[in-house]
Amino acid sequence: MFRRINELSFVIGLFFTMVAIILIGGFMISVTMFSKANLYTGIVFLVFGLAMMLIRSGPKNDVENKNE
Amino acid sequence: MNLNFADYLIILLYFGFVIGVGFIIKKKIRSSNDFLTSNRSIPLWITSLAFISANLGAQEVIGMVASGAKYGIMTVHFYWVGAIFAMVFLGVFMMPFYYGSKARSVPEYLSLRFDEKTRGLNAVSFAVMTVFSSGISLYALAKLLEIILHWSFDTSIWIAAGIVMIYTFLGGLTSAVYNEVLQFFLIVMGLSPLVIISLQEAGGWEGIKATLQPELTHAWKYMGNAEDNPMGLHFMSLIFGLGFVMSFGYWCTDFLVVQRAMIAKNMSAAQRTPIVAAIPKMLMPLIVVLPGLIAMALMQQSKGYSIPTSENGELDYTMTLPSLIAHYYPSGLLGVGLTALMASFMSGMAGNVTAFNTVFTYDIYQSYFVRNKDDRHYLYVGKTITVIGILISIATAYIARTFNNINDFLQLVFGFVNGPLFATFLLGMFWKRTTGHGAFWGLVLGTAAAAITHGVTVAEGKGGWIAEWYTIKSGMGQAFIVAAVSWIVNFVSTIIISLFTKPKPDEELRGLVYSLTPHQPELTRQPWYLRAGPLGMILLIITVILNLIFF
Repeated sequence: MFRRINELSFVIGLFFTMVAIILIGGFMISVTMFSKANLYTGIVFLVFGLAMMLIRSGPKNDVENKNE
Repeated sequence: MNLNFADYLIILLYFGFVIGVGFIIKKKIRSSNDFLTSNRSIPLWITSLAFISANLGAQEVIGMVASGAKYGIMTVHFYWVGAIFAMVFLGVFMMPFYYGSKARSVPEYLSLRFDEKTRGLNAVSFAVMTVFSSGISLYALAKLLEIILHWSFDTSIWIAAGIVMIYTFLGGLTSAVYNEVLQFFLIVMGLSPLVIISLQEAGGWEGIKATLQPELTHAWKYMGNAEDNPMGLHFMSLIFGLGFVMSFGYWCTDFLVVQRAMIAKNMSAAQRTPIVAAIPKMLMPLIVVLPGLIAMALMQQSKGYSIPTSENGELDYTMTLPSLIAHYYPSGLLGVGLTALMASFMSGMAGNVTAFNTVFTYDIYQSYFVRNKDDRHYLYVGKTITVIGILISIATAYIARTFNNINDFLQLVFGFVNGPLFATFLLGMFWKRTTGHGAFWGLVLGTAAAAITHGVTVAEGKGGWIAEWYTIKSGMGQAFIVAAVSWIVNFVSTIIISLFTKPKPDEELRGLVYSLTPHQPELTRQPWYLRAGPLGMILLIITVILNLIFF
């Protein structure tokens, strides 16, 4: 898991997953303050983020192995 | 526009991630090549998205939405006439020379193909242009945040520049490129909900067509006569000025974008980088042109939205995108939209800074000042010049704030220098008789021709500083004509001077000129979907179809 931090696709996926959690979480905490657009966008971001995190980059795509 | 906790959290998360990428890359930076050229080791999908993202700076995102509102769907010509054809040409015909020559930069290619004076002219003008462009981008970001969020100008400048400085200083070009990919996804996915929400409000594309004047919703129909369309251009001027001279000049010779293809892992990937990048580029008008049209339709439909006006009461088109975000995005999404805007500014600035430090270190410092030092020395110089470049950008941003006209002036000068450049590369790569003297003086004369053309034409009150001989309807039209004249003057003068001067012997031009470069059979044996030629052809066919659909 820690090693995957070096993969760009994982980093991008993690970012969008965290943004999705903020958007969906905000909607669930306060439906009046956060509109449904947050919920829908959050779901799309979550699917995209998880998909990016699950994509397995080849060893050469790994930042860690990039110059080795 | 007021932000709440969730908005700030998203912005802070973004700042944390881009800096984090810098720290991850930092431990792999061991040489100047790692720092300045990524050691030619970046995978294709990353180079392709970085290629498009380096161009997706503030001027592109906010500027194209503004043009969409002002000129309508004709703005798509920047993509479907300009960018796509030029990107395919770069991938199929020019990358073999850039990549195959093993040059570390575009000016270094000019040194190998022509001589040191041509390289010096290109390197110095490019370095000056990029660092000032970076400063203008920074100024625009701080100004935007000052207007829409009432943030302090100083705070915005130092935070944005500081973050870009941290991640480019730590991880150099690789860090900038990796962040450009993150920024690409953020810009596209952060602005997509805005397009969907506002397009629905405007009644879809049919609603826009029913609301706006027909010349704003047809890309070609009103281009037979310059007086009939909002750009004031005849289609031939557009095809030659924008489609050929300006677009090919930018996409095929500007090191800022070409650098992203030059760091690919091999020749095949380098050739495919601009071609794969052309796929999202083709769809980019949905994100950056359509919102402008939507904004105009919403105004005419009296849906409670309007583009802000400037002090003189005219529509301030540059505020179209920020005002749409402010109007349609609720808390949470507002943070996403603003982060996407900041990402576009940072992406543009980091792209400029990383191109600047490479050209300065290799093409100016190593070539003219300190040669034959160990690699560690050039790594330190590269890092130092990264910091200096950002400090110059900050100074430029403050100068731009004091003297607002400097923006227009710098953009004008950039146009003069960029306009003729493609002629030099075209002749250099495809006519072995072209000489260094021809290339150098062709560039000088082409730039002078651009300045003179601007001096005798007037558009929207600008130009005509020599004599007001010819009036052009729009500033954009004037830019196309200036570029076209400078290109022709460079092309003709380079040929004439080359015919009277001595060319380099053939053996020195192998791998640099088309007729003297052996074809690589291993590339032609690859399946069609991995070859630049067939992929490029498919893209061109789709581009023609798109032009026909929105004719």
